[in-house]
Amino acid sequence: MSAGRARRGAWLRRPFRALPALFVAAVYVFLLAPILLIVLLSLNAGEFLAFPPQGLSLRWYGALFGNEPFMRAIGTSLWVATIAAAVSTAVGTAAALFFVRHAGRMRETLRMLVMMPLMLPEILTAIALLFFVYATGIGTQTMFGLVVGHVLVTLPYAFMNVASSLYNFDRSIEEAARSLGARPFTVFRRVTLPLIKPGIITGALFAFIVSFDLFNMSLLLKGIGMTTLPIQLFDYLRWDFDPTAAAVSSLSIVMTFTIILFVDRVIGLRSLRFG
Amino acid sequence: MTAGVLPLTGSAPRKPRRRWLPAHYWLVAPALVLIGVFLVLPYFNIIVMSFRAPAVGAPYAPGFSGGNYLRILSDSYFLGVLADTVFLGFVTALVCLLLGYPVAYHLARTRSRFRGLLYVFVLSPLLVGVVIRTFGWLILLSGNGVINRALVDLGLAERALTLMNNRFGVTVALVHVFLPFMILPLVAAIGSIDPNLEAAGRSLGAGRWTVFRRIFLPLSLPGIQAGTILVFVLAMSAYVTPVMLGGAQVKTMPVLVVQNLIDNFQWPMGAALALVLAVTGIVLVWVYARLTGALMRGVQ
Repeated sequence: MSAGRARRGAWLRRPFRALPALFVAAVYVFLLAPILLIVLLSLNAGEFLAFPPQGLSLRWYGALFGNEPFMRAIGTSLWVATIAAAVSTAVGTAAALFFVRHAGRMRETLRMLVMMPLMLPEILTAIALLFFVYATGIGTQTMFGLVVGHVLVTLPYAFMNVASSLYNFDRSIEEAARSLGARPFTVFRRVTLPLIKPGIITGALFAFIVSFDLFNMSLLLKGIGMTTLPIQLFDYLRWDFDPTAAAVSSLSIVMTFTIILFVDRVIGLRSLRFG
Repeated sequence: MTAGVLPLTGSAPRKPRRRWLPAHYWLVAPALVLIGVFLVLPYFNIIVMSFRAPAVGAPYAPGFSGGNYLRILSDSYFLGVLADTVFLGFVTALVCLLLGYPVAYHLARTRSRFRGLLYVFVLSPLLVGVVIRTFGWLILLSGNGVINRALVDLGLAERALTLMNNRFGVTVALVHVFLPFMILPLVAAIGSIDPNLEAAGRSLGAGRWTVFRRIFLPLSLPGIQAGTILVFVLAMSAYVTPVMLGGAQVKTMPVLVVQNLIDNFQWPMGAALALVLAVTGIVLVWVYARLTGALMRGVQ
């Protein structure tokens, strides 16, 4: 109690001491403000995206569910993100197993190769893929190019998360299973897989989030009828500026933070590898 | 990959099978094929495309020429846009460093219960899509937006200020979007500095500023270097934010590239512009890394 008062006293006598804390707090506000604002304004009862909101209502969510292009785009995004997350998790898990256990001298080169999509500007990769699918005749009529682009960008997330769960892995458990007569695949399925499951789930969820929000790749590689949610939102904001856009953005934000919360509660954010 | 490994012979417990590739290489094969075919090859293909001749009604014509590069490097418009793009990247990286350093220090040293939550705060711009983040700034900065309303209502401004459709708006949003990429490497660098060094410096009579300048700044240089390079590259290659917040006023290289690819259907020109930007970026980063690298050697 007295210590607290003493500290508060010092604070009053030397107001400069509080400046750094205020600065840091201001930066946190800066980071969060636009995101919180969108969620708040999606609940606006009024006609416009104005602050403060004129009463609370869910009317713009109603408008959203009646908005055919947005609903279709959400469907497309969920679909693309699910495929991309599944493929990059499978490929990334296998690569991580090799990376941690067998890579030897190739280790650094391999890490660099797999992480490359993160280091290279997404727009440049998208351009490269666009030219490539055109030159090879794959084209943008099917989802193939789009999904490959999403897989490339999400692969590093799956890879990193699985690799980090493999680092603190006690291999003697596998030895024990093998010495008891389990075949290699059984060892993998019954011992290895359950132990690295948290890394795989975290990686897959992050791959999903990243793919769901990917813009540049989709802009250049989408074919007709493959408008993902970020593209649809971008197009919508060119002509309309109403709380429907805030409602759909809020849905996306809430989905992301629900996933983060899930990862934090069930698996622990400490296992999180972001970049 | 080394495929020619000799098959095992001798008294193996199970009958050895001839394999042209050792089993564990199959684990990494899909990733390598994916990266090789859909990333490395296409990147080389950009170079080929940039030397193609332009055509009408098709993305490109047969035959090769260096005409695209000549046009870019001799046209003051393109060079101006390139300079603007580099400047935008530079300012964004600098502002991110100034805003990010104190936050990184706080995050690395705090023992607060809410540390995990603060981490999520810092990561939040990364976890929300770039279109949504920029939309948030659209609401804040537009002529009739939240900030302008507040300024006018409070009597701080006579009429709405122009906060977007200019460099200011684009820079603010880019800083917001890329600040996490600055803070995270800085947290790692500052977190690895022994807190006792700070205490020792202080007990020997050094002021806060001296401790920062003589101890923190040199020891956190690797984090500063990594963060500034990352933000610079990302800001230079950003597309969505300049398009949404820059309007017709702010043209950056990525905006020109996409314009050439999608609107004008001039692929060779788009490819050449993209490569000019990429090479400029690589050269600048290389020079910068050399300079900061020399500084860091001075520390050790």
